[in-house]
Amino acid sequence: MPGKSYHNCSMFFAVCLFFLLATGCGDQQQHEKKANEPPGAAQSQKLKIGLISEYDIFSQKKSYEPLAAYLAKKTGTTIELSMFSRYGNLIDNFAPNGLDGAFFGSFAAALAIRKLAIQPLARPEYPNGASTYHGLIFVRKDSPIREGADMRGKRFALVDKASTAGWLLPMHYFKENAIEDYRTFFSETYFTGTHEDAVYDVLHGKADIGAAKNTVFDHLAESDSKVREELQILEISPEMPANALAVRRDLDESLKQKLKNALLRMDQDPEGKTVLRAFGAGKFIAATPKDYDPVFDYADKIGLDPATYDYINE
Amino acid sequence: MKKKVFIALLVLVFCFFSGGIYIARSIDEVITGLENVITLHQVEFLRKDLQNKISVVQTDLLLKDSPHALPIDLFMAHATEMEKAAHVCITCHHTDEVLKTLYHFQDQIDRYMQMLSRVYTIRGEKERVDQEKNGAFAQGEAALAEVEKIVITSSEKISNRITLARNNIAETEHLLFFLISAGPLFLILIAYVFLNKFTTSVEALVDATRKIQQGDLRYRVQEKLPDEFAMLASAFNEMANSLKDQCQHMQQTERLAVVGELAVGLAHEVKNPLAGIKVSIEVLANELTLEQEDKEVFLRIINEIHRIESLLKSLLSYARPSGPAPVSLDLHQLLDTTIKSAGYSLVNPANAAKPLKEIEIVKNFSPEVPHVVADQGQMQQVFLNLMLNAIDAIPAKGVITITTQKESNAATQIIIADTGKGISPENLSKIFNPFFTTKPKGTGLGLAICKRLIELHNGTIHVSSTPGEGTTFYITLPEKQQLQGVSQ
Repeated sequence: MPGKSYHNCSMFFAVCLFFLLATGCGDQQQHEKKANEPPGAAQSQKLKIGLISEYDIFSQKKSYEPLAAYLAKKTGTTIELSMFSRYGNLIDNFAPNGLDGAFFGSFAAALAIRKLAIQPLARPEYPNGASTYHGLIFVRKDSPIREGADMRGKRFALVDKASTAGWLLPMHYFKENAIEDYRTFFSETYFTGTHEDAVYDVLHGKADIGAAKNTVFDHLAESDSKVREELQILEISPEMPANALAVRRDLDESLKQKLKNALLRMDQDPEGKTVLRAFGAGKFIAATPKDYDPVFDYADKIGLDPATYDYINE
Repeated sequence: MKKKVFIALLVLVFCFFSGGIYIARSIDEVITGLENVITLHQVEFLRKDLQNKISVVQTDLLLKDSPHALPIDLFMAHATEMEKAAHVCITCHHTDEVLKTLYHFQDQIDRYMQMLSRVYTIRGEKERVDQEKNGAFAQGEAALAEVEKIVITSSEKISNRITLARNNIAETEHLLFFLISAGPLFLILIAYVFLNKFTTSVEALVDATRKIQQGDLRYRVQEKLPDEFAMLASAFNEMANSLKDQCQHMQQTERLAVVGELAVGLAHEVKNPLAGIKVSIEVLANELTLEQEDKEVFLRIINEIHRIESLLKSLLSYARPSGPAPVSLDLHQLLDTTIKSAGYSLVNPANAAKPLKEIEIVKNFSPEVPHVVADQGQMQQVFLNLMLNAIDAIPAKGVITITTQKESNAATQIIIADTGKGISPENLSKIFNPFFTTKPKGTGLGLAICKRLIELHNGTIHVSSTPGEGTTFYITLPEKQQLQGVSQ
């Protein structure tokens, strides 16, 4: 009977519509519920943050772990720290390794701004009020080396080709001292990979000249008086912005804001203060791409184009 | 015995508690020992674990720059695990000497990690990189060697400590077995000794009871029994003594009853013919005209008949005394009367002014002495008998002292003492026996009758004498008693 068949079809469609509407409403409710939930209540988002080595890789990672834990707690995320043995690796592997952000050195950050369009969020201000550092070139005090000409045939410990203090400064120094090709001028140049090793290599006579950042130099001098007693600083670079947390540009804006707020408000939170003290900073201040202008200027002085620069260590 | 039972109970309780506490402590020690063994094995395991972790990092280091090289994060995880394992050693140990070695080892691990970091970060000429790599590897090997050294050094110590712990456990186990087996044996031994003493004492008493039961009234418990059993034995012996006395008394009573029956029979049989003989002799003596000498013979016969009558009277009096006719007696008055009667025996028929003996009678009467309940005639018979004996004992001159006094145990004592010739010790014990006499014409019943009469009044009579100095009789009579007739 056509009447009955029509009735059956109507019933079938009505039931299907009901289920569709029911499931649709459910999804919408679920979505709304998620949006209203506080951070951390829902399944926490995982952030992968890269680190480069100023000190030995183990100490470096340990010093960042309390900070990462604090940020994870405040932003309702879980943060995984990933160590990189070379500064340049961080830039090359930023996207392939699925990094959401990294604590970049100033030159690495400048390179990443140009190459990866990363967004700096915040950088530390040290207890002395400085949020910048200088690059240093140093020799042993008992060494005869006092100027560029004295360096011929010596061993130079650089840090990394993506380091301001450990690469840009020496390059600038070589240019000013008319050292055309450092590969032939020195008997050996090599990259220590950490500022700490550069300092200790010179101190222990593994290298004749070294370059590193003053924050590491001063930190090591606090625990080892020989650093200041036996090393002579020959050159100091202009002020460069301290290592900053920069994130990928397409990271969720709210998460970016949470991260930034958490960092900037750390000094107002007792727990944050404790973490800052352990980290060696007084507070975090906001960082912008403009902070890296001195780095670009410095690179420009030695004729280095960050956009095309090959930062892979030889 | 009570004390010993209490002490034995205390010993048992002490054994129970001390044994329980010792066993609990021993179990605790065994558990501690086992925990120590487990901990020591854990230490061995931790050291092996540390060795393995260093070996893993060394392998990572060797594989670096090879196609099988691990990602840096994984390598760092291995190195961090190694560092943690090394740090565990420090948290486990506490002695300064071991800590010093371990801190040195920790420095080695720190140095090794710095060198590993350097190997992973340094870029330069191959010679320099290889040098760093070889240096780090050598440092790793040195750390491994150090762990090996610590393992070898401590293995012996750990082994010794494990052996020591096991020995301690075994020692405790042996002690426990000893206690569990020897403890009950010790308790059984104590119980055996205790029961043995108990049963031995009981057996001695049971034996004594059987002996008495079998009629051996002389048997006494001679064994030296302990504690309350000694008291029981003493009481038993006293009871046996008393039983023997009672038996003797009963035998004596029975004998007296027999003698009484005989005496009564004899008296009846002899008394009447004797009266006939006496009357006949008197008639003959009066009616016949006899010479003076023949008259004296008749008088002697009559006197002898009087003696026989007196003897029969005494015999009857001893064997079957008449029951006391008790009255409330003034002892002092009775004694005065008796003294007067006794005094007649001193009268000299030839010269009334001069007595036969010079005897002074001293009365030492206590005014506190109350009346006593007694048969007046029997009491007078007793006192008179004793006074006459005293007069007889004094040769020519002497003193008889009669004392009355109140005794503490509601009794009155009458003491009759003379300064006569006294009684020899061998005769002293026999003087109350019937028919015992030292007098040529005595019947030997006087003192026996005295004793019998005093005993009929529930009193006692004793004698003490020193030959040449005199004799003293002590009579004790109860003040109040229930006698047939009158009571007070």
